[in-house]
Parts: sequence; C-alpha cells; structure tokens
Amino acid sequence: MPEFSQIKSQLNRARVAVVAAGIVSPLGVGLDETLRSLREGRDCVTPVTTFPIENCRCKSAGQVPDDWLADCHERARHPERLHRVARMMILALGQALTQAPGFVPELTVVGTTSGGMTFGEEYYRGLKGGPRSARRAASLIANYTPQKPVMDAQEAFGISAPCQIIANACASGTNAIGHAFDCVRSGRYQCVLTGGYDALSELVFVGFDSLQAATPERCRPFDRDRTGLVLGEGAAVLFLENLDAARNRGAKILAEIIGYGISTDNHHLTQPNPSGSGPRQAMEGALQSARIKPGEIDYINAHGTATPFNDAAEGKAIAEMFDGVPVSSTKGMMGHSLGAAGAIEAVISLLALQHQVLPPNINFRRGDEGLDLNIVANNSRTGKLRTVLSNSFGFGGTNASVIIRANEA
Amino acid sequence: MSLRVAGMGWVTPLGSGLDHVWGRLLNGEMAKAEGLSSPLGRTHSVFRVPAEATAQAPAHPRLRRSSAISRFAVVAGVAALEDAKLKLDAETAARTALIFAVSNGGVAYTKKFYHEIVESGAKAASPLLFPETVFNAPASHLAAILGINGASYTLVGDGAVGILALKMAEDLMLSETLDHCLVVGAEEADWLLCDAYRRWRLLRSEPPIEPFQRPPRGMILSEGAGAVLLGRDGLVEIEKIAGGTNFGKQREAGAAVEKVFSELGGETDLVVASANGTFVDEAERTALLRHCPNAKVYAMKGSLGESVGASSLWQTICGVQSLRTQVVPPVPLLPMTNGLPPPARPTGREQLRRAVISVCGLNQQVAGLRLVRN
Repeated sequence: MPEFSQIKSQLNRARVAVVAAGIVSPLGVGLDETLRSLREGRDCVTPVTTFPIENCRCKSAGQVPDDWLADCHERARHPERLHRVARMMILALGQALTQAPGFVPELTVVGTTSGGMTFGEEYYRGLKGGPRSARRAASLIANYTPQKPVMDAQEAFGISAPCQIIANACASGTNAIGHAFDCVRSGRYQCVLTGGYDALSELVFVGFDSLQAATPERCRPFDRDRTGLVLGEGAAVLFLENLDAARNRGAKILAEIIGYGISTDNHHLTQPNPSGSGPRQAMEGALQSARIKPGEIDYINAHGTATPFNDAAEGKAIAEMFDGVPVSSTKGMMGHSLGAAGAIEAVISLLALQHQVLPPNINFRRGDEGLDLNIVANNSRTGKLRTVLSNSFGFGGTNASVIIRANEA
Repeated sequence: MSLRVAGMGWVTPLGSGLDHVWGRLLNGEMAKAEGLSSPLGRTHSVFRVPAEATAQAPAHPRLRRSSAISRFAVVAGVAALEDAKLKLDAETAARTALIFAVSNGGVAYTKKFYHEIVESGAKAASPLLFPETVFNAPASHLAAILGINGASYTLVGDGAVGILALKMAEDLMLSETLDHCLVVGAEEADWLLCDAYRRWRLLRSEPPIEPFQRPPRGMILSEGAGAVLLGRDGLVEIEKIAGGTNFGKQREAGAAVEKVFSELGGETDLVVASANGTFVDEAERTALLRHCPNAKVYAMKGSLGESVGASSLWQTICGVQSLRTQVVPPVPLLPMTNGLPPPARPTGREQLRRAVISVCGLNQQVAGLRLVRN
C-alpha cells in the first residue's frame, strides 16, 4: 500500500469488483435461499418471542432462527461466548470464503448499530443478580462491544485485517460498502472486506416502538396507508477487489461497484428534511461518482422503511430524479436490519443483477398521492438490469447510496 | 500529497483549551478524581470534566437535550477549527469531512433508557432519550452545529478507535474534493462503565494511574474529547499510520504492538504511549525497548485518565504539541526501575523531529502513527 506522503496527486480510479458475497437474514442463509425468497416474495416477518413485548405496539420482526446458526460452532474458539450476531457474521464470511478462498483483505470496513447489544442488556439485568450472573458478567462485557462480532468472525477464519466499524445508524452498511469501494478505487488497497451486521435487541425494539416508528400492522413500504417499520436482523459480507487484479488471478466477478454517494442531512436527529434533499444529495453523489446519468439506473433498491417520513422524502427524491425506474423496498419481507440493512440490500441488488429479477415490494396496496413511483408491487418480476442503485438512510441524517453494475466480461 | 495537523482542541479532566491543558501537563499535574456512586452501593473513582471546561459550548438547539459526550465533542471540535483559524461557510463545509471516534458512546442516556424499560416496562420508554442512545448522535449534533453536510462517519472500537479514525481520514483525504477532515474522539464517564471495567479486572479503586508499574495496578476512567483537524498545511505532518491489527488474548497484545511498531518503522525521538496501568503497559514496554530504545517516552494517562474513545486523540495532540513546542511533559509516578529510557526533564528543551503515537486498546485493537515536524 503506498504511503500518503508518497502520493503525488489523486490516485487512479481503479475499477472495483465484487468477487464474493455471503448473507444470513430472515430470508435465508446463503445466496440461493435468499434468491428463492426474493422470487417468491416470501413474508419472513414473525412474532417476537425472545424478549417481552406485551407493552409494545409492535409485536413482530424479521428474525433469524437460532438453529440456522449452529453450523458456525466448529469454527469458533469459544462458541459458547459468541453473540448470535457474531454467529451470523461467521456464517456469512464462511460463505464468501468458500467462493473466494484466496481472498486476503488488507482492510475490513463493516457497519453496525448495536453489535452484541443483548449481552449488554443481560449484563445490566444481571447487576442485581447473584454470584452466577457476576461470574458471567466479564464475558458479557468483553463480547458485547459493537466491534466484537466482526473480530470474532475474522478470528474464526484466521483473518487479521484492521477493522473499521462504522456506526452511522441505519446507513452503516451502505456507508461501509461505499467507503470500502472508495478505498479500492483509490488504488491504495487491492482487497477490502466489507458488509454489515445487527441483531434484534430489546432496547432497540422498544426504542423504535417508543418513537412510534414501528408498526403494529404489516410493513408496507411506499404504500399510501403505511404505518411504520418492522425491525429485522442479519449479516452480509462482500469481498471487494481491484477488478484488474481479480481478473488477472482468474477470480469470478459477481458484479462491479461503480459509484458511492454520502450526505448528512442536518434537519433533525431522527427526521429527514421533507424536501428529500438528503437522499437526493446522496444519490446525485453516487451518480457523479459513477459518472453515469439517472437514465442508466435500471432498478432502485430503496431504503423504504415504510415510515411516513422516510418514504415521503426518499420517494420525492426518486420521483424527481428518475423517470419511471422500477423501485422496491425489500424490508416488507424481512424487516429493517439497521446496520446490516445496507449490506443485505447490496447483496440483494447483486442477486437482482445476476439473475435479472426485480425483488418485490410486498404488502403494497396503493401508491402515495403525489409520488410518481414505479413500485415493483407484491410480486417479483423479470427485468433487463445492468445497473442498480441501493439506498440507506439513518438517524443523525446519514444518507448513503451505492451503484452496482452487472459484470461485463 | 501530505497530511498535516491543521488544528487541535480538547476537553479533559484538566480543563479545556490547548495551551491551558498543555501547561498543566508540563507542570506534571494529575486530574483530581471524584467518587461516582452506583446504585449497587459501590463508589468508583473517575476523572470528570470540570463544568467550566464546557462553559463556552455554543447555545444551539441540538445541545438542549444532548448528553455530556456531545457537549465535549462540540467544544473540542470548535476549538480545533479555531486553532486552525478555519471558519466553515457553505463552501468550506462542503470540503470538510467529519469522523467521530467512540467506544462507549452516550452511555448515560442508554443506561437511563434501558433502566426505565427494566424497571417500568416498555411503555415507560422515553422517545426523547432513544435517539440520543444511537452511536452517531454526537456526530450528528456536531455536523449540524458546524454545517457539515457531506461525509460524516462514526467509527466504533476500543481505545485504538481514534487512530483508526485518523486512518480513515487519511483515506478520505486522498480525494481532492476535500480540504479538511475533522477527527473527534469523545467519551463520557458513568458508574455503569466503571462497574463493567472493574468486573473485567482492569479498574483500580483509587488513583493514581501508574504507567509502566510492575505489576500493573489498574486504571481510572475519565471523560472528555479530543479533536484533530487534518489539512494540507501545518507544521506537523502525519507521516504514516499503521491502520491497526488485532489480538485475541491479552497475552498476545505485545506481539500486536510490535507489529504496529514494525509497520511504522523509522527513527523516532518520542513515543506517546497508551500505558494505563493495565496489561497494555507490558505490551508497549516490550515493543518500545525493541524498536525505539533511545526515544523519550511520554504516557499521559496518569494525568488525564483512560477515556477510551478520546484517549488516542489526546495522545496525538500531546505528540503534536511536543513537536510544535519541543518540550515533553513529565510522566507523574513513572517508576525509575521500569527499564525504559529516562523520562524527559519537565521543562527541558528537546531535539524532537519525529514522534510515534502508540495505542493498544483494551478489547483487541492496536494501532499507531508517526508524526514528523517539517
């Protein structure tokens, strides 16, 4: 890696390949199962059973069953200490390494919002407990930190790359992919591991419920009668590599990332500027970075949380910038997995490109007045896709967009 | 291209103001600990930020309900811009990125929010508190106050996160669309953190922190913020950043620190260490003796405490200040039999051209950087 002081001017704009991807989400484990769920428009939102919700308005979420995670045990040094989100990361990373066994990252950039938060909750509840909870406390403390799941996953596979963990709320995953993309594109790095992870926790679930951002009904992104989000969980990883280097070593190229945009909307801590300026700035930035025009986008995987504020602002920006491009939010099927969402949706976008399928926006009944959007309503469709844009927006006004292009050998 | 320190600001248990705190460090002062009572019946010693240190925080609606960590960050961030004489307008703000480094984050509100859930059920949960529990809330407030509307990132990690943030800033500054990147690390103290680090066997019940003491006797938590504005101009250049490595067990930390020193390479006149009275000290001692046996060593945590997310920014500020002023503060309570080179004389003039910032975190992350005065 060249040192900063040795660089005379801005580095070349290297092309950036995705050479492997792994995913664990309520839609399934692995690319094949995820694709099947997308094609079928499977509703994977189920009643929450892992913590008390009787006093919450919302009762459901997209959840990854624990028995799906059992396979990671053989990989971990102390599987009993692992948080379940670390298990998700181990599975996702394992899938990617199976596709690209020779991939050695120089840097890891991943997104999360709360890491192993449930360990923190258990520790707090245990403070008033007896000696047994005191004995477990040290392990809970050491393993609850947000960076721990990715470090556990790296350790499981003997990877020692430095880890940059981005916590930009719900945009974290897309910010991580975007920054990883910039790192490879600059020419400074050849291989960067990226992705995102988050698991359901009581604190976050109750938090969204208290804001009345979570819905007791079905999650209906971009629907006129939408009433809010449902939460989800999962993990996804992508291996990014300098395209020329990947081709030279004969790697299979899944897709190219060609653009990234980021903006910070200072309107309010939790609400976007209703003008849609934040999403617009991020999407414009991504298009500029990719050096393409809006008309070249064939599909948008929207942030689409189904909250009244988000969908109005994002929908307005999309409607103003793009002319009838197919749009869907996949959160109706699997919930909003926060820091993992951007990474999961990037993998979904990748699958859309590879298999020429438009993922459905389920639970959709009728569009919002004044928003002229071409929603992929309820059922997946086939389409001719070359270039896809994926959005993620979060608390704190963080907005991020990435553009992914089909591999053209 | 070069990456230079254009401005700095800090909020510490010894106050705020670059020269004020630096003067107190040169005098060998140590912050005074306060007792922080927990509802479990235990009192923990911590180094708190005195109220007057944040008195100059701007009156902004974003700070009305925010927790201490946001106020610390804003005061430090604004001070770094002032140190660089940089006024952000729409044009300059668009060419300035923000990276926020944090480990424990807004723990006071997070604890309060969850406490209400545990004690009174979900219906008692406050929708006003929840948004402040999100890791990037302080960065959002700072960006809103400064008018930064482009790239803004919050990085989480252990004590090394500040160096990782500087590394990320270095990568961002490769883009000619940016002139500056403001890197801020911040943390607030709370009894819950003290309880956690105590159970982890890293905390000492009473001050002082004794860097490099054998055996290590534990650390005292502190709070505050450090801000470093990176730009293209400035006396001190960040010559190289070792973006970090990881260790699995505490006994493996020494090898990780050595790896960082090897990566940084080169001659150095000064090492600003992260020694805090824990296993970190031994990990750094070995690397120091092997890689830079003739360098002066400064460890500031005896004076300022262990503020985790803010500490490595404080260390960087100390390194830059030493290169700027050619003076190294004394290390209070440094044992004379520690095997390290003798500490700098309190006000002695040094010949300092290069400094290394060494950071070994408490939870597996290690990183470092090398500064040079040009």
